[in-house]
Amino acid sequence: MPTRCYLAAAESDALGLVAGLVDRVREASSALDADVGERVVTTRVVLDTADRRLRAARMDLAIETGGTGEGRAMFVLGGPAGAPELRVVCPRQRRRYLAGEIPRGALAERLAGIIGVRALLPLVELRREEIPVRVLDREAKTVVRLIVADLWALPKGSPEPLRLRSRVEVTGVLGYRRQFAQVDSAVGDAPDLATGTTSVVDDAVTAVAGSPGGLSSQVKVPVDGDEPAGAAARRVLRGLADVVEAQVPGTLDDLDSEFLHDLRIAVRRSRSVLRQMKRAFDPAARREQADSLRWIQAVTGPTRDLDVQLLEWDELAALVPEDRRVALGPAHALLVEQRTAALRTMKATLRSAEYRRHWTAWRLFLAVDAGVSGGSGGIDAAPPIRKLARRRVTALSERIVREGRALTAESPAEALHDIRKRGKELRFVFELFGPSLWPASDVKPRVSALKALQDVLGRFHDRHVQVDRLRALAPELANRPGGATALLAMGSLIDRLEADQRKAQADVAERLEAFARLHPRDLA
Amino acid sequence: MKVLAAYNIKGGVGKTAAAVNLGVLAARDGFRTLLWDLDPQGAASFLLRVRPKVKGGGRKLVRGRSDVPELLRGSDVDGLDLLPADFSYRHLDLALDGTKRPARQLATLLAPLAEHYDLVVVDCQPSISLVSESVFDAADALVVPLIPSTLSLRTFDQLLDYVRNEVERPPEILAFFSMVDGRKKLHREVIAQLPLDRPEVTTIAIPAATEVELMGIERRAVVDSAPRSRAAQAYRDLWTEIRTRFDLRPGQP
Repeated sequence: MPTRCYLAAAESDALGLVAGLVDRVREASSALDADVGERVVTTRVVLDTADRRLRAARMDLAIETGGTGEGRAMFVLGGPAGAPELRVVCPRQRRRYLAGEIPRGALAERLAGIIGVRALLPLVELRREEIPVRVLDREAKTVVRLIVADLWALPKGSPEPLRLRSRVEVTGVLGYRRQFAQVDSAVGDAPDLATGTTSVVDDAVTAVAGSPGGLSSQVKVPVDGDEPAGAAARRVLRGLADVVEAQVPGTLDDLDSEFLHDLRIAVRRSRSVLRQMKRAFDPAARREQADSLRWIQAVTGPTRDLDVQLLEWDELAALVPEDRRVALGPAHALLVEQRTAALRTMKATLRSAEYRRHWTAWRLFLAVDAGVSGGSGGIDAAPPIRKLARRRVTALSERIVREGRALTAESPAEALHDIRKRGKELRFVFELFGPSLWPASDVKPRVSALKALQDVLGRFHDRHVQVDRLRALAPELANRPGGATALLAMGSLIDRLEADQRKAQADVAERLEAFARLHPRDLA
Repeated sequence: MKVLAAYNIKGGVGKTAAAVNLGVLAARDGFRTLLWDLDPQGAASFLLRVRPKVKGGGRKLVRGRSDVPELLRGSDVDGLDLLPADFSYRHLDLALDGTKRPARQLATLLAPLAEHYDLVVVDCQPSISLVSESVFDAADALVVPLIPSTLSLRTFDQLLDYVRNEVERPPEILAFFSMVDGRKKLHREVIAQLPLDRPEVTTIAIPAATEVELMGIERRAVVDSAPRSRAAQAYRDLWTEIRTRFDLRPGQP
């Protein structure tokens, strides 16, 4: 339904606005009347994932108190367009909601597939005092809806609510376009109203100094192809360092597994830039920083590995015949215990002086402009980034093809994994520098062909690692109650995984040749 | 999109009241819901305060020559829209008779709405005719109100027999008791016995209550006008039973 939003002048409030609007509606047409409802006062804690997946899906979720909940807190889900508002009792307010923690039923079903593994977190608290006005036709049928609302954002830890501008929302009813146009025109002509945005949440988030778009793990740093390689690479690395820093609080609070995942990806990309652009940096300084990043990757690795195992658990368990699935229970419990211990160790490390020392040194390294401060630039720091990036794309592509063609059925798993690692490095170069340096029509087919190759290499590697990890559980599992049965069920699971691994290996050659056909030298 | 049809061969058994209350409850439960008032009497349209008039009439509609989205009207309930009745629906049989595959016609008409709605509730006209055949073809389930009397049960058996033996793609059937007077021994006995004999019949009983009759005055569903009444509770029970039995979920294809 069409909705128009108007923002009131700073000094206006809902009560004053309503009287004027009712008169305007009646003047607009003798066939229309207005019914003013009772003022409804609600407080809403707006929920979304850290990367605002609900916003992207044009949905709003909040826990509402007051309003129609008869004293109970209610989940209220609005949007996307056309879907009615959904209200579900919120049994217990939590600091976060993972998909499995949302009450089963319509709400969980509507959110499924949107939030994935991310947690819903409180984003901003909003107080709303609204007066509903129904515009009626001669049958007393609602033909347009108005909401006139006074709004406050409640910043965390501050007793002072921030007054937002009052707003009027005009919403049409299906089949009553003419009446909507009449009312909208009457409201739009009101002298104390101006057209506004439709998102109260964005306004409230902005008021409490947040970012409406949320946290992003993407780095979009525009690079000029003629820019010196050292300066361009550092600027991209600074963008990646911002991503790492933004993910640390959520990682320490263990809000969801994506914070740590995004942190590690940003570190991995940073290491890749250091490697691929190594001649743009002073060799000794680069080695030192590469060691620091490797250390961060290492101390965060065990928790992530266990996260992956637990996230994949249901999918893996589904590979075991149903009657033996329950026997896997002790293996799952062991993983949960191991993850708790790994998280504790990682949190202590991320809060340690050693971490601060590594990170401060990294930030200082990035703050120095290549070539300006003595010793911070390498031999390729000054030439244009386009040249260096193209050289790296060519070298990596040729090596992937060469090593890929040398693979045989007897090649060790490490050989396939090495190719996959080079594929990742190539993808990072494309992702971080490609959009600024080459036309999308050149980059996209190469990234697609690379992704198709990486998918099978990734599946091969994942299955290999899953088998190794399951085998690693065996010694401890054997001594636990139910351990022997669990080991038998795991044996059946390992058979399935190895079969899928062999299938992935068989697909590599075909994908490799598709990738090889797009020669990197043809890049503009 | 799932299609439920409130159907009975007999008139005045509570089809419209059931269709309207189920439509409101579905919308409140997050289903994008369309109520199609297929009864020329237009009672559901009246209850939702929408003029029972369809541009071009029933003939143009069933022959696929109407712009269906243009005919839809939003109700006062968020998430519930209406395809209104039209007095010309009394000749819908004749209009269907001139089409290529009359029994498939209503399903064909509804198909493009699937991306906009999770659920369609059809308030059917009382009869057994070409219109009902087309409804049976389009519906995933028939929701049948039964007055607990001997004649009603005989009619229900006729319906079961017809749907199972004559309909190419028979819908599921769920019957519930309607206009129940708990003071009557016969009503009590039928409600106790029939669900044991026929799995299609639930024990849910909508009472013959003043609140249901007042819907015509209030022009609102009982679940809104008298939410604490026994009738409202019975409609909520009926909706829960339908959701569970037919595994209805909002947003499902």
